[in-house]
Amino acid sequence: MKLFVRLLILCLTLVLPAWATVDDAISAAMEAADPYVKDGFTVREDQWGGDLAVGEKKAFQHTLFKGNDYWFFIATDTIKAEVSVHVYSSEGKLMDLEGWQKGSHSGTRFRPPSTGSYFLVVQVEESPEDRTHWALVYAYK
Amino acid sequence: MNYFRLALLLPLFSLASPARAATPPAQIDLSQFQQATQIDNVVVPVPAEIFLVLDKIGTPNWKGEMRDVELKIGKRHQIALLLGTVIADGFVAVEATDREKVKDIGRDVLKLAGAIGVRNSVLGRSNSIIEKADKGDWLNVKRELDGALQDVRNAMSELSDEQLAHLVSLGGWLRGTEVLTSVLNKSYSKDGSDLLHQPQLLAYFNGQIKAMPPELRETSLIDQIRRRLLEISPLIEDDEISKQSVAKVHTITSDLVKSILQKDS
Repeated sequence: MKLFVRLLILCLTLVLPAWATVDDAISAAMEAADPYVKDGFTVREDQWGGDLAVGEKKAFQHTLFKGNDYWFFIATDTIKAEVSVHVYSSEGKLMDLEGWQKGSHSGTRFRPPSTGSYFLVVQVEESPEDRTHWALVYAYK
Repeated sequence: MNYFRLALLLPLFSLASPARAATPPAQIDLSQFQQATQIDNVVVPVPAEIFLVLDKIGTPNWKGEMRDVELKIGKRHQIALLLGTVIADGFVAVEATDREKVKDIGRDVLKLAGAIGVRNSVLGRSNSIIEKADKGDWLNVKRELDGALQDVRNAMSELSDEQLAHLVSLGGWLRGTEVLTSVLNKSYSKDGSDLLHQPQLLAYFNGQIKAMPPELRETSLIDQIRRRLLEISPLIEDDEISKQSVAKVHTITSDLVKSILQKDS
């Protein structure tokens, strides 16, 4: 029984922090989006996340509608890590309208020139960890 | 000069800097992200994003786009599609600021979620939809509808029912597109028709259906959807979508939404 309890605690110690940090990253990303709600933006209730190595990128294909104004927010719970998100057209052209970086949070604004498919490219720019958890949310108005 | 104080303050300035960490490349090769078009890396927008643009470019008669639905509970794939269409109806009712309709839809969402075994995942959302509709808090009703969609999808994924989760999204897209094309049929505009230009999203849904197991893909309803989505593809490929194409897309999506209502699909 004592061995079982020790093994259980060891397993929980290994597993729980990993689970907790993705949720922490989501919370951080939602916090980054929060001030924009007062500006009339609606934050989606859906989030995307994972973990990446420094310099590693991931892309999401997203249909965005001309006439809307979008903000994309990415965050990490890892202290001293920086993550970024940028918008690219289907031809690979950078389409960001403006952006900001505040420590472990980053935001990018985009207004589609036409309705269609665009690519959100997320990247871990810097991190003290081998792999860094991140989360992405977006808002529109 | 107190250098000690200055040293303490400097990190605060760097944290608040609006400058980006690094300048992103102006051009990238997207082929390195071939996996981006795979199922988990595609973001499906909610109908509210489209309806918002319609409100900006015109004055749609949202009450005229509402429908009365008799819920017929059939097989799980039919229920999942129906659930998606009903959540889309919720977004229409919010646009129409119809409190009673939104509340009815909140109850319907709960009923349909229960029919596929994920009632608990939307119980809180359903109650919140009803409560916020009563207060006329439309912004948060929209968020709760969005949240209900995600909660249902997540619950289905936890039950290893990812295919049904995708069908909820597809149902929502079909009903949302039916409404969009209905509004455009009544008042066509180039800016409005531009909203239909979603060929990659349609390709994503086609891919989802293709990846379904045969026992699901070859049901009458899913096969019908598969065939008719292929009819929609060429109509929405071009940058300029004609009034005739809008009308055809409307006919197809209306037919499919009606089929989803049938219990024996």
